[in-house]
Formats: sequence, C-alpha cells, structure tokens
Amino acid sequence: MPIEHAFTYMVHPGRSDPDATKITGASVPLSGKLFGLLSDVYEKADRECDIDIEFKSGGKKDNACRDLITAFAAQPSVESGRAIAHRLASVTTHRSGLGLLFLILGKEGDAYKLLISRFPADSAILAEEKQSTLSVEFLERVFMKSAHSYKAALYKHVSIDAGFWLGSAVDKQITSPSVLASEYWVSAFLSSDFKTTSAQGTKRLATALRAAVRFASDPDVKHELVSATTLAKNLGGQVLSIADIRSKFSLSDAAYEAIKSSLKNPETLEEKFKFDFEEFSNQIAYRSVTLDTGVTISAPTKSFTNSVKEENIDGSAMRFTTQGKVIDERLKSAGQVNAPGA
Amino acid sequence: MRQELELQYRLRFEGILKPLAESLEVYIRETLAGVDRVDRVQARAKSPSRFMAKAGKGSHDNPKYSDPISQIQDQIGARIIVLYVSDVERVASTIDRYFNHIEKRDLVPESVSEFGYFGRHYLLNVPTDIIDPDWDKELIPDFFELQIKTLFQHAWAEANHDLGYKELGGELSQESKRRMAWAAAQAWGADQIFNDLASDHSQQAGA
Repeated sequence: MPIEHAFTYMVHPGRSDPDATKITGASVPLSGKLFGLLSDVYEKADRECDIDIEFKSGGKKDNACRDLITAFAAQPSVESGRAIAHRLASVTTHRSGLGLLFLILGKEGDAYKLLISRFPADSAILAEEKQSTLSVEFLERVFMKSAHSYKAALYKHVSIDAGFWLGSAVDKQITSPSVLASEYWVSAFLSSDFKTTSAQGTKRLATALRAAVRFASDPDVKHELVSATTLAKNLGGQVLSIADIRSKFSLSDAAYEAIKSSLKNPETLEEKFKFDFEEFSNQIAYRSVTLDTGVTISAPTKSFTNSVKEENIDGSAMRFTTQGKVIDERLKSAGQVNAPGA
Repeated sequence: MRQELELQYRLRFEGILKPLAESLEVYIRETLAGVDRVDRVQARAKSPSRFMAKAGKGSHDNPKYSDPISQIQDQIGARIIVLYVSDVERVASTIDRYFNHIEKRDLVPESVSEFGYFGRHYLLNVPTDIIDPDWDKELIPDFFELQIKTLFQHAWAEANHDLGYKELGGELSQESKRRMAWAAAQAWGADQIFNDLASDHSQQAGA
C-alpha cells in the first residue's frame, strides 16, 4: 500500500480563460489528518473506481494525457504534477468550477499505483461556540471530506512505460444513467473511452441472452428472457453493465442467473459500455417459437410481436396467427432441422 | 538474469499465453462471423525462443528492452488473412468497432519505388471475455498484436521471414534481396489485379 508521493493543486476553470490557468500546488506531507483522508481515498479507489477506461490513441501509442501521467509517475514532483493540473484546468469550465486536484502515487507489490482525484469546491458555514457566544462565518473554497461528489481515476501497472493504458474511473457527481462518467472527466481530461466498445459490450449482452434463452429449461424463464429483448430498444445510448440489466428489465433471479452463467468470464458482468441498439438488433435478429405440434414460427425479432398475434387458450396452449403474401416455400431434411442454428 | 527471464516467460507461455491465444482465435472468428472473404484467422503465443531473441536486442550496455515482459507487446499475435486488398479495410472497420487499439499502422516500404512487406498492424486490448478469472492478473498481457493481410501479402511475408530471418547460411546476398523484392512486386501486382477483378465482378453482378 505505501503511498510514496502526494501532491495537491488548486485548479481554476481555464477552458475559456487561459490566463486563469496559473496553478498553485504543494506536496502533501505523508502523515497527519490530511494524509489520513487521502490514504482512505487511495485505499478505497480499487473498489470505488468501477468504470474500466482506456486512453484513446491516434494509432501511434500517442495520448497527450497519458504522456503527462507517465511522466509524473516516472519522476513525481510538484512540477511534473503541475502539468497534469494544467491539462485539467484547460478543460475545466465555469460550470465544473474550482477544484482541488490530488495526485497520489504508491506501490502495491511490484506495481505502481497512481490515483488522480478531484474534489469540487463548496461553500460552508463555520460555527464556533465560545463560552456563551456563538460566532458564524461563511467559508468559500471548502473541500468536503464526505466524498459524494469527487471524481477519480486509478492506474496500476508494473511498467510505467508500457502500462498505464488501462485504468478505472469514477464520477460521483453524475447521477444520470446515460452519462455515468462526465465527458469533462473521462473524455476531455483523461482523453479516454470505455475499455469495452459499444459493439463489443452490446454483442456480449446479446450473446449471453441468446445462450440463456437456449439453455434455460424453464419455459417461463425462456419467455421472460425473450420478453426482455423487446424492452432493449429503450436502452439505446445508455451506459450500462450486464449486471444493470437485472433492474432495468426487472428480471427474476432465475432469469438473471441464466444470463450470468452464459458469460464466458463472469468478470464481464460489471464492465460498462454504451448500449448500441442497432448492434443488439443484429445479434438477436430472429425470434422463433416451437410448439409441441412440431410447428416453428420464426420472424425478425424487431417485428415479431407486430407480425405474429399470440393468444393464450385456456392457460394450457397458445394460438399464433399471422398473415402475409407467400414469397417462398422450402423443404428440409431431418438433419437440417436439427442442425445447430437451423 | 537471462535464465530467470526465460523461466519467467516459459511459465507465462505455458500457463496463460498458449490457452489465451487459442481462445483469442475463436473470439476473433466469432467477431468476424458473417464477414465475407476472410480466408483464415490464426493466433499464436510467441515462442520462448523468439521472445528471448527479441528481448536480447540492442547492446549489453544499451538493451532495447529494459523490462521485456512488460515492453514486448506481441506476446500474443493474431492474423486475419483476406482475399483482396479492399477486404483489408472492410475487416479493419469491423475490428475497429469491437476492439480499442493503442496502435494502428499500415506497414509499407519507405519508398514508392520499393517493394517489400505490406500489412495493417494493430495493438489491441485483450478482451476480458477470453480471460480465465483464475489466472494471475499480473501475468495476463494487456494487448495483443493483430495483422490484417491479403493472401499474397501473407505468402510473401512468410517466405521472406523464412528465407530472410532464419539462419540459412547467413544474410541474403544483394542478388537474393533483389529477387525477394521482385517477388514482393509480383505479389503487390497480383493483389491489384485480383482487387480490380473482384470490383469489376461485383459491379457486373449488381448491374
């Protein structure tokens, strides 16, 4: 765990006012109450920073923010850290406001661990009781210990030079499910993106859903999972993880477990990505229902409920009706019908 | 020191890189499902002997890699071989959708009058899906190298690698190098012709 270096900088909004980017910074002593607070944040970062991110590259292993971060990690000083603070100031608007930036560098085993954290300035009232009197004072530029609004990014690797491409982030100021981590923090400042691309994460979810439907033995669970896919159109553009699907689709335990057990690596359950409805539609393009009569009804998933009318008959059987112009008819061998994907 | 490095790599090679390469090959195939004219997908872990040869580059006083285990980023290499030159871009656009890259470059000879190696190279992050959760995370590489090439580019590169880099009686003569460049020019020309033919054919089919 040992923290070896800690620095702090006052970062003013400088995006529209480059003159305001004169930045004061200081080294934080590695003992005392402030250090205790920072140690706590540093320790919790592995758990709190739950959004996997990756520096964007122009194609030549180039990323301006990573360059500053690795330069700082290689030679930590007030000056090398100030370059990071300058970058933050240059993307900070008046809406984001004044912030206090902390750079905390330590080692865990052979790995370097760097935490970059920003606390927004707040205002407060200081109340002091002195015998029979009470004095109150309005304080500006207060940085709250109750860390409900901080942003952080964490990088860990044994090699500063070759590693530090992948990291994790958190943005406690964001509450909207479609944003998750502010453009300001992840995209503008860190010049990063989600580690999992939209298409990759969406395909992973669709593949798990397909497998879960295929292997679920309970017809009710199958039906619940198939119904969930029709709700997916509401998720377009949202940032989510597969774990979030449980609450978004109000899935039963059995349906959720079926999805979970269909993942190749359960650790992908928590990886965040931006849902891509077009990709999802491609991955679950067709829906089919097979009856005990041997009849199979198949239609594009997008239009299944519009094209095929479903009626429950006495609770024990279903009637499916559809209509249209016949454009083709086919015959298949028994082998073709039973073949995977047939 | 060298022995220790080799032992360290061998453990990683057997325990993680080999199974990871197998899973990656399947993963890339699944990613490209439905993409036409992909001749083959291959992935392999860099052998301990090739890793050690690369790790030893540079001089004793000034080695190219100070931390080869972290710095050599093609410990897993994958290849996608396509039929025509225009397929490289098409396949690359699919790769760009499903993987983040830290490196993406077209390797071409320096001068327009030279012929040699051509290929699209990427450094892509290893998808979490193919990682065994029981593996030691510190031993799992963050990235793998992916090459996208045509059949002719691949054929030339393989022969060039075999003849040019293997110790088959020392370095190639000037004459042999010229013949190798001639073969590269033929491969380049064949790629252009087949690409034009494929384009003409698809236009006729669509007409």
